[in-house]
Amino acid sequence: MNTIPVLTIEDVATLDGVLGDFLRKTEADLTVVIDRGGNVISQCGDMDAMDVTVIAALAAGSFAATRELARRIGEVEFNALYHQGNGNHMFMNSVDDETIMITVFGSRTTVGLIRFYSTTTAQNVASVLKLLRRTSHGLSFDAKDISAAPVFVDQS
Amino acid sequence: MSIINYASREIQFKIVYYGPALCGKTTNLNYIHQRINPLNRGDLVSLATATERTLFFDFLPLNAVVIKGFVTKFQLYTVPGQVIYNATRQLVLRSVDGLVFVADSQWEKMEENVESFKNLTDNLALQNMLIDDVPCVLEYNKRDLPNIAPINYMEYVLNNRKKRLQSFEVISSTGQNVFAALNAVSQILLHKFSKQSEAPQGAPLPVAIPLDPTTPETQRLPA
Repeated sequence: MNTIPVLTIEDVATLDGVLGDFLRKTEADLTVVIDRGGNVISQCGDMDAMDVTVIAALAAGSFAATRELARRIGEVEFNALYHQGNGNHMFMNSVDDETIMITVFGSRTTVGLIRFYSTTTAQNVASVLKLLRRTSHGLSFDAKDISAAPVFVDQS
Repeated sequence: MSIINYASREIQFKIVYYGPALCGKTTNLNYIHQRINPLNRGDLVSLATATERTLFFDFLPLNAVVIKGFVTKFQLYTVPGQVIYNATRQLVLRSVDGLVFVADSQWEKMEENVESFKNLTDNLALQNMLIDDVPCVLEYNKRDLPNIAPINYMEYVLNNRKKRLQSFEVISSTGQNVFAALNAVSQILLHKFSKQSEAPQGAPLPVAIPLDPTTPETQRLPA
């Protein structure tokens, strides 16, 4: 039987704690942990201003796209990427082989501070995810819980 | 790989539209974006060239309530069809949960269809996945054009395997069967994770779901 990996309420609380601590120390606006396929695993901070789902998809693409660039200079991949804007910036760093962490920040903080704290935060997130993968909670559904109606409706 | 967040009671699935260049993958997403309830979708993001050829991918997030007690988020992606962008296709396929293979029905595109399908199976193999293990449907697109191959021929060329995929005759420019194909792959995907592990329609139908302009889209779904 196929099951979907589950982040339990405890897992989410642990990740929220790690990410919340990172935001407090850095004064960044938002941090998101995503898998390399673009799925959001956990998020913390001001999510009203941005569509986190879209940011995750684009960030996963952006991170992967630089892999070949890294290879050309003899690296396996770049561990971190920094996109500098006029007022808002984005920092992305590798958590593990499957996961990336994205941080969006403004003028209240600096890229140096983000970079400094992101290293230990990424290690902490990696430990939580490693434990989660090892214990591997999985969930499947009763067929009766799945709606038989069309999932999406053409509103023509 | 999909993941369930039990705190927010959200499930995420990634569906990728795959196929040769100019077969209508982006047109599928454009139609869905235009016709779905705005409350159930996010922005359509297209990373395209100046001539609107997909350079990286198109992305459309959709929300639905289809599993009791959970919000289900479907993330629709397209791949760039042009042969040179294989590295990008591999990247977009990462963690894929469901596939819609869009084939161009025109005779002269048949070789490209076959190459693209082989490219899909090769790229899945790089992720240790088999096409039979991934929920997948076929779209035979552009059925309104004059120079098209008959459905039986397309089935023979693209769907001639032990475990046949559900297939649809589609005109993506007018949206015919676009939602039917999306709903079919979504249901197969959802039932993959049900305890019974079987989609309600059972075995895939032997021939493509035909176009029928007089029938509402939702009624063309298999019973």
